[in-house]
Amino acid sequence: MEDQITRITSRLVVPFIQVYGIYIILHGHLSPGGSFSGGAIFGASLVLVALSFNLEAGSKQIPHNAASVLESGGALGYLITGLVAIALGGYYLSNKAAGFPMGEAGSLFSAGAIFIITLFVGIKVASTIATLFYYIIEGEK
Amino acid sequence: MLYALAAIFIIILTLFLRFIMGVDSRTLVTLYLLGFIIFLLSFTVAEMPTFGSLDNPAFNEVPRRYLEQGVEETGAVNIISSVIIDYRAFDTLGEATVLFVAIAAVVATLRSH
Repeated sequence: MEDQITRITSRLVVPFIQVYGIYIILHGHLSPGGSFSGGAIFGASLVLVALSFNLEAGSKQIPHNAASVLESGGALGYLITGLVAIALGGYYLSNKAAGFPMGEAGSLFSAGAIFIITLFVGIKVASTIATLFYYIIEGEK
Repeated sequence: MLYALAAIFIIILTLFLRFIMGVDSRTLVTLYLLGFIIFLLSFTVAEMPTFGSLDNPAFNEVPRRYLEQGVEETGAVNIISSVIIDYRAFDTLGEATVLFVAIAAVVATLRSH
């Protein structure tokens, strides 16, 4: 499906959607939203690319190898953050007790492990949505 | 008195539906079963504590601790984020695992074709 109106509109809108998704993921500990919703928004922008252009343009944005690496990397990063907490002397997945840098409450780089885990889960959810969509679309060919 | 009235009403309704409207008995049984379930569910909803009330059984010392000391203990201003990623981080790990297993199953199924 190739349509000029959807193509040009999505070309205008997609960067803003992606910035909004990244904003929601990064501000997960400050404002409503967080990893799951921000990742879903970012993944939706990749789906929009695939729908308004063609499948090749979308697949070029996030190739299958990179998708699986991001997917497993997000889950592994979550686990490793928990293990780092043990190495630092806390219990599994602890935050302040393990001595992650807390920063000043309310600033962007604060809340220690929460910031890191939100980032990892956001990457994972975004790549999950994009991969799911691309695989199902390709399966119909 | 009320029970007798209700019983008479149900008997008249059954006779009306069965013989005047011509509903068969199988559908009648289904209808009454559904009505019973609707009655039970609305009764349960009517007996539930008021939303947001201070005397709710769910509003005990646990959410009070989160609200009062969450910012200090986790450093996150967003209380929901501090609950799901700090206090209940293990639960969120399970959630992420469910997502991971789901996508692995989809990829394994679709790639084999």
